[in-house]
Amino acid sequence: MPKQLTKILTIVLIAYYIVISWLLKRHGFEHSSGLFYSEKLLLLFNAKQNTILTLGFTFPTTVFFSSLFFVPLGYLYAPVAASLVMTAFLFYMLVDEFKKESKFSWKLYVPILFCLFAFHPMFVFAAVTGRRNAVIALVAFLIFRSFFRYYKQPVTYHISMASLYIGAFIFSNFDFIWVVLAFFPFIFLISLDGLLIARTESPIFQYYEALNNRSQRRKLANRTAALYLVIFLLPLMAVLLFRSLNSQYAGSPTYFLDSQYANWRITGNQRIGSLVMSAGRDNVLYQTQVVIQGFILFLTPLYIAAVVLFRGKLYELFTILAMLLYYSFLLLSYKYTLTLSYYLLFIPIALVSICYYGTSKYSLKTSSWIFGISALLTIVMGFYFFKHSASDEEMEFSKEMSSVYNNWEGPRIYSESQQVAEYISNLVTDDNKILIDDAAAYPIVVHIGNLNGMILPHQKTFLTIVENPAKFVKYILIAKQTNPTQNLTVLNEFNLIKFRLKGLKALLMYESPNWAIYQLEKE
Amino acid sequence: MPISALDNMVSVGLFDENKLKEIEVIASEFNYSYIKTALNFGFLTRKKYVAFLEQEGFELIAVRDEEMDMQYIEQCELIELNSILYAPLRKMPDGTLLVAAADPQDEKLKTLLTIRFNMPVRFVAASDLDITWLVHIKRGEYYVKEAVFSLMRKDPEQSGLITFTDPQLIFIFGSIAILVILLFISFLKVAMVLNVVFSVAFFGTILFKLYLSLNGSKAEMKELVNKAEVKALQENTLPIYTILLPVYKEDKLIRKLIWNLRSLDYPRGKLDVKLLIEEDDDKTLNAVRNLDFPANFETIVVPFHMPKTKPKACNYGLHFCRGEYLAIYDAEDVPDSDQLKKCVVLFRKLPPEFVVLQGALNYFNKNENMLTRMFTLEYTYWFDYMLPGLMSLDIPIPLGGTSNHFKFDKLMELGGWDPFNVTEDADLGVRVFEKGFKVGIVNSTTLEEANNEPFNWIRQRSRWIKGYMQTTLVHMRNPARLIRRIGWRGFLGFNFFIAGTSITFLLYPILLLFLLTYAIVKLTFVASLFPDWVLYIATFNLVAGNTMMIYVNMLSVFKRRYYELILFGALNPLYWIMHSIAAYKGLWQLIYKPFYWEKTNHGLTKLSSSGTSANPLEPVQ
Repeated sequence: MPKQLTKILTIVLIAYYIVISWLLKRHGFEHSSGLFYSEKLLLLFNAKQNTILTLGFTFPTTVFFSSLFFVPLGYLYAPVAASLVMTAFLFYMLVDEFKKESKFSWKLYVPILFCLFAFHPMFVFAAVTGRRNAVIALVAFLIFRSFFRYYKQPVTYHISMASLYIGAFIFSNFDFIWVVLAFFPFIFLISLDGLLIARTESPIFQYYEALNNRSQRRKLANRTAALYLVIFLLPLMAVLLFRSLNSQYAGSPTYFLDSQYANWRITGNQRIGSLVMSAGRDNVLYQTQVVIQGFILFLTPLYIAAVVLFRGKLYELFTILAMLLYYSFLLLSYKYTLTLSYYLLFIPIALVSICYYGTSKYSLKTSSWIFGISALLTIVMGFYFFKHSASDEEMEFSKEMSSVYNNWEGPRIYSESQQVAEYISNLVTDDNKILIDDAAAYPIVVHIGNLNGMILPHQKTFLTIVENPAKFVKYILIAKQTNPTQNLTVLNEFNLIKFRLKGLKALLMYESPNWAIYQLEKE
Repeated sequence: MPISALDNMVSVGLFDENKLKEIEVIASEFNYSYIKTALNFGFLTRKKYVAFLEQEGFELIAVRDEEMDMQYIEQCELIELNSILYAPLRKMPDGTLLVAAADPQDEKLKTLLTIRFNMPVRFVAASDLDITWLVHIKRGEYYVKEAVFSLMRKDPEQSGLITFTDPQLIFIFGSIAILVILLFISFLKVAMVLNVVFSVAFFGTILFKLYLSLNGSKAEMKELVNKAEVKALQENTLPIYTILLPVYKEDKLIRKLIWNLRSLDYPRGKLDVKLLIEEDDDKTLNAVRNLDFPANFETIVVPFHMPKTKPKACNYGLHFCRGEYLAIYDAEDVPDSDQLKKCVVLFRKLPPEFVVLQGALNYFNKNENMLTRMFTLEYTYWFDYMLPGLMSLDIPIPLGGTSNHFKFDKLMELGGWDPFNVTEDADLGVRVFEKGFKVGIVNSTTLEEANNEPFNWIRQRSRWIKGYMQTTLVHMRNPARLIRRIGWRGFLGFNFFIAGTSITFLLYPILLLFLLTYAIVKLTFVASLFPDWVLYIATFNLVAGNTMMIYVNMLSVFKRRYYELILFGALNPLYWIMHSIAAYKGLWQLIYKPFYWEKTNHGLTKLSSSGTSANPLEPVQ
């Protein structure tokens, strides 16, 4: 394999993602989650109050902190820059891992990986939207790579690295805390395997011996507990610490999960319908977990290929299958289906599994065919997913992507948030302030680009001003009833009516489909 | 014609002729008398030899109480007196020179002394140990002064004789004065800054330790010396290996020591083992005298001189060493049997700048009580992860007291150990780096006895922490020079690891108290003093720091497969409180008794080291 090829392709991939981001931007497509992190960055560097809440509790922490490195590019571009660099980095690491660990020809895996990253819509979406998907995919790859490395060379280093990555995994999406349960079977099997009893006998007999012999059972329990602690102590303690800090400084241990000021999901979920619940849309999922897990396999033929090509020990197989088990726990808890970020991680897991185990069962030629065809099918299924997505923004992305190449020379389209922000920028001054609740209006705040002339919830006076806005501000930004996030902000039409009943005089100055700006008259 | 007691023993069937031939070879290589070789290389018991002498009509005299005319002994070199085991006492009225000798039938020696003193010589028999004691006391003054002052004379900047230099005192008191003034000017702001600095320093040090541990755990991936390499060593190519065993009142451990030495896989004739005992340590000397089986070490008596420290004894012992390589063990140590051979292989493999190798230390009585368990956890992460981590990052490695293996000539070039430093090992590790050499880590373990008694533990630990403070003060006398010598990485590593360790233990109770009053007891006074962000950082640092330390402890048992200890890692915060007590005691002693050597009592364990294996060092699976 040519020496610099991976680096060149990674750079090409970054450039490609930048172009797509630029084209989407020209078409007015912005993902709300990227804008959420952008606004938090703006607050972090410009607000003088409650900085600790912004820096300490904006969640997912990994995504927010990774965006910090790209702030010099501008608040608006930092999250997207972070996600596209991380997606490209995942590509780089995968190629590197294949180069080191796999017997496949580079002429096979380099084009496959490049095509996956360039054309699979999930990867493109992860790269160009500034969402957490890129981090999750990268961290999932790192976790499983560490486990597979550990199986190949059982040294503590790999296990402790896996532990750190699991910590990052949980801080990318709190739902992943349940991997604590999902990883138990293979951790138990690793312990069992390490006892080295009756190696010549059948596995059933070995298990029987291990569980029925008192001394062996004690060893097994100690070893399992040790492995478990080494893998999960750091992540779980990090979560405990984070919760206690939330409790101490934000008043609730789950502030980072429940507050719309800390977590995009609170507002984001208003935009994402569930596949099951949005019955009006065409999809394959109904009710049972078996079908949902089947859907994962349906979306990721590479994952099926990884299992088909696998040959190894039982705990290695259970490691590959662990995430399916995890989804069972998750679905028990959530009872509805999942969004892209949950599905995307199966691709890197499948790839790293194929990399380590893909050539030991069949001939290299057969394995190569299975690998190639499954990768192709995975790309096709990616398009299927987007075509039938329940998320408005995923649908919009899909629509924009199909038209963006044809209309790239067309006039620039400004998003609604940009238009509202433009209007506010021209309106407010230090003397004529506007009251904004960034729980819902963060896309507008970030497009304004500075905090001059704005009263926002991070300011200690916010609640006082909300009680009697006309006394302190000249304008107010209201989320209209049509706004999907209007329930999450105090500044919505419902509350405006209440204000008016109390005697507030508000004059509509500007409105867009989701927002309205009122001028307040002092009593 | 028989010319020595051993020849006579052979002729009467009390000694094996083949052994005598072996003794001849060793004696010529070491330049020792036959009897010294026989008694110190495991060929002959002292009791059997004394019985033979008595049978031959030689009653042992109490040579230490004999009247002595110094003019005769002053004509003899200590090295020779020690090697041949004789002591000229006085001129007798009949004109003969009375000489106490371990072998009163040594005709060769008699001839030599007759020529040297130009008078007839009359031998009286004396215990070889008493002669050793006598000659070292009478003729060891020069050597002991060298042991104490050599480093200070050659390189005063590196000597710990002066604990605080003038600039350091000015800096310390100046800082305190400025701090007090600032506290008067703005108590709140200064307290806030101090709080943040303390907690960040605490967290930073522990984060660095975690980083080191992760780096060190990578070392598992490659076996520095494997069994095949050890097996391939040809015994006739092995160099003489010196082992120094500094002891003080360790009479209970002497038998164990012999068995431990016997288990070493190294040719007997190539092992130069020195038991270094203090002048006033008759307990140990008598324990050696009363052994029922042959001793496989040579006893060296260190004459009294302050400071009465282990490094001084080791420096003294250096004058009598014959080895190309030199190792230090404690009396209770149980090294892996192939450790010396591994070191020979590794020294030959590594680049010449590696002049010291450190073996991993661990404990044979790990399950004795809570303290030994905690100690095992600590030692395991220290030697299995931290030190390999330091090596991988090319940061000065503080040596670990025992199981240090040196190239003898380089050790002499370095000036030996600093007798004024109570962690002379750590200091020497840094000095090795300063001189442009390197310390390596050998994949071999020595089992020791873990301290199982809390007060004894605190005594030992206070000495260690005091020594780390001393080492910091010595090497930070001129920070710019230190940076020039060991580079920025080494400088930062040194400060985080050696200075940072003591500072962390000193800060720990302060930060803990702060957290307790604020987060748990919820004293509003504390909350009103500091803004939220300060409290956030302080809480985060303390909790995260403790968690990381618990984690690092847990990692280490994983490597050693001490799975049953893993939950004890959670007790690390309590264990650290003991560290803090020791740290404050160490700080107090640094000021008032800087050279005082807190003696650790060994042999307290009720468990035996026999049958305990230092392994497994193989990876877990």
